[in-house]
Amino acid sequence: MTGRFVLAVTVLTLCFLSGAQAQDKVVGVSWSNFQEERWKTDEAAIKAAVAAAGGRYIAADAQSSPQKQLTDIESLIARGANALIVLAQDASAIAPAVQEAIDENIPVVGYDRLIENPRAFYITFDNKEVGRMQARAVFARRPRGNYAFIKGSSTDPNADFLFSGQIEVLRDAIAAGAIKNVGEAYTDGWLPANAQRNMEQILTKNNNNVDAVVASNDGTAGGAIAALAAQGIAGSVPVSGQDGDHAALNRVALGTQTISVWKDARALGKRAAEIALLLADGKKMSDIPGAVKFDGGPKKVEMNALFLTPIPITRENLYVVIDAGWIRRDEVCQGVKPGTVKVCR
Amino acid sequence: MKHSRLRTLALFLRSTELDTRALGLIAALLLIWIVFHLLSGGLFLTPRNLWNLSVQSSSVAIMAAGMVLVIVTRNIDLSIGSMLGFVGMIMGVIQTDLLPKLFGFEYPATWALTLLAGLVLGVLLGAFQGFIIAYLGIPSFIVTLGGLLVWRGAAWWVTSGQTVAPLDATFRLMGGGPEGSIGAMWSWIVGLIACAAVVLALANGRAKRKKFRFPLRSLAADSFLGVVACAAILAAVAIVNAYPWPLGSVRRYAQSNHIALPKGGLFIAHGIAIPVLIAVGAGVVVTFLAKRTRFGRYVYAIGGNPEAAALAGVNTRWVILKVFMLMGFLAALSGAVSIARLNAATNAEGTLAELLVIAAAVIGGTSLAGGVGTVAGALLGALIMQSLQSGMVLLGVDTPLQNIVVGAVLVLAAWLDSLYRRRTTP
Repeated sequence: MTGRFVLAVTVLTLCFLSGAQAQDKVVGVSWSNFQEERWKTDEAAIKAAVAAAGGRYIAADAQSSPQKQLTDIESLIARGANALIVLAQDASAIAPAVQEAIDENIPVVGYDRLIENPRAFYITFDNKEVGRMQARAVFARRPRGNYAFIKGSSTDPNADFLFSGQIEVLRDAIAAGAIKNVGEAYTDGWLPANAQRNMEQILTKNNNNVDAVVASNDGTAGGAIAALAAQGIAGSVPVSGQDGDHAALNRVALGTQTISVWKDARALGKRAAEIALLLADGKKMSDIPGAVKFDGGPKKVEMNALFLTPIPITRENLYVVIDAGWIRRDEVCQGVKPGTVKVCR
Repeated sequence: MKHSRLRTLALFLRSTELDTRALGLIAALLLIWIVFHLLSGGLFLTPRNLWNLSVQSSSVAIMAAGMVLVIVTRNIDLSIGSMLGFVGMIMGVIQTDLLPKLFGFEYPATWALTLLAGLVLGVLLGAFQGFIIAYLGIPSFIVTLGGLLVWRGAAWWVTSGQTVAPLDATFRLMGGGPEGSIGAMWSWIVGLIACAAVVLALANGRAKRKKFRFPLRSLAADSFLGVVACAAILAAVAIVNAYPWPLGSVRRYAQSNHIALPKGGLFIAHGIAIPVLIAVGAGVVVTFLAKRTRFGRYVYAIGGNPEAAALAGVNTRWVILKVFMLMGFLAALSGAVSIARLNAATNAEGTLAELLVIAAAVIGGTSLAGGVGTVAGALLGALIMQSLQSGMVLLGVDTPLQNIVVGAVLVLAAWLDSLYRRRTTP
């Protein structure tokens, strides 16, 4: 009798101890590739958040290969991960590994790119909202006229999310005839040089009668602006973008780009790490603060998701990126005429 | 009666010794242009679009000139797109970061120092790959496939993937635009010099043939060639001179030079764009190297039969090393043009450019079996590919379909070429 009582107390105590904190939890992160500047920023944020909670960070880089990512995830499980964060190279190709993790009761957080599995968690910036912000900023400058749309890569689902957000804002004005879509083109591989060529052809087609350009990211915006500059109309035509590229923020200060929607990768990384730790502790996905139900993926699978709100950066609030330590003041202000922009003085 | 007149024409064309293959390419190009012109409702064959087309083709054309020699020696270079990206990033950092630290922004010699550093780096990278291929005997496909990965990765490392912009104002002239064109007067001067060069070359050819007692072309055939070539050159100049500066640039120009803008605007012609001059210049120089120097003869000899060339005493390794150095030089030059045009150096610059360049060379009649190929053909090939791409954007055709068309045209061109070869070679 006494023995049983002691055993019960011990078990209860153990449960209490392990349930109370994220101590010794292992968070495994499977990256798709490190070829872009931003993922290193994300990694630093995840590492810091995991370390702050007393957990351990392990990671693997799939180098853009879905096959390698498949084995990466299996090896992260084998190395004792209690929760996984996956930046999917190809969400459907790695589905078996994700299922395996879930079957072993290891929670999976789909990071920035959707993994359509009802028992995975999805965290990203709201890409449709990015598109809406881009269109809103351009629309505020040019409520009527000829609009050109420089879309993202046709193979990236985000390109269509962005475009649908842009059109959503402009739909009424288009229907009313105030805005005319005079040209839209996908940008193969998101390459700025392709965006430049497409913009040149749209300008040629319309004899320069383009009043606004809705470009989907800062790289394509740069290409479009180079094409506008060749016609001497850069600066008078509003252009949108996203990512907070340093070159683009400089263009925002110079006035050739209207807006760069900034997605603070550090906030995304931090939240993802916190959620992974909470899930590893056994918290239910629907109980994650801020979580919503999402079924907007291609297969309409309902899952739990968290959408972070991006920040639109224009000439008026450039201080946000400077204060956040994202970019130095002199980088933003290089070549800016004194007195034209507040933060540059 | 009619039949015999056709025969006379055919005989006359044969007496000009023109390459029927090149004529076929030109015919294909004109056909594409006319079809796009009709489909786009008269937008394609305008001075503006043709000027755009010339600038858009120049980056690929510069590299295609070198690729011809690489392929002629039975090699391939898959690394040029990545090399372009890497050298471009380096040139971007030199002019926006290193030199401004020493001399401040917009220092007059920045563009020259940057370009020089880029070209030297290009030659070194080319020499490095060429050395491994020629002296260590590793197939060029493998070496440059490695290069494709290595230089692309290196381009990322230069700034950890960050885009470098804006670039030096003088450097940017290499990318075209209103200021990056040489204007009407200089365009006419360049056109007339080119004409004079054509006439001189024809006269020189006649004199040489006389001296060595080769059969002469008829005087009529020679004058016909001279007139057609000159007319084509001057027509091209007239077209680029018919494309005026856009209103915004004119206004800014008038403001900065304190000219009162007359009513109805000011007509300032673009003229030939600097990147186009660079591309044509590269084409002429490489053609000269290929046709008129010992190096060029060795290149084609190696392509025809490497063993025979080596037994005849040609230092085949050294020649191949030089071919890759030339390729590296041209990739760097093309990198300068493309970052100047974009006014930014990005680590993805030049992605897939190697495939466009190889396709341009193949459409232009370069045989992957080696020994056969002309630079002029490759430049035409580049123009044909760019015409297809730009024309489809003008029609609003989306990228997936564009890629399908360009890919199909590439295979079609190779097939037609093989048919042509089977008929003309015994």
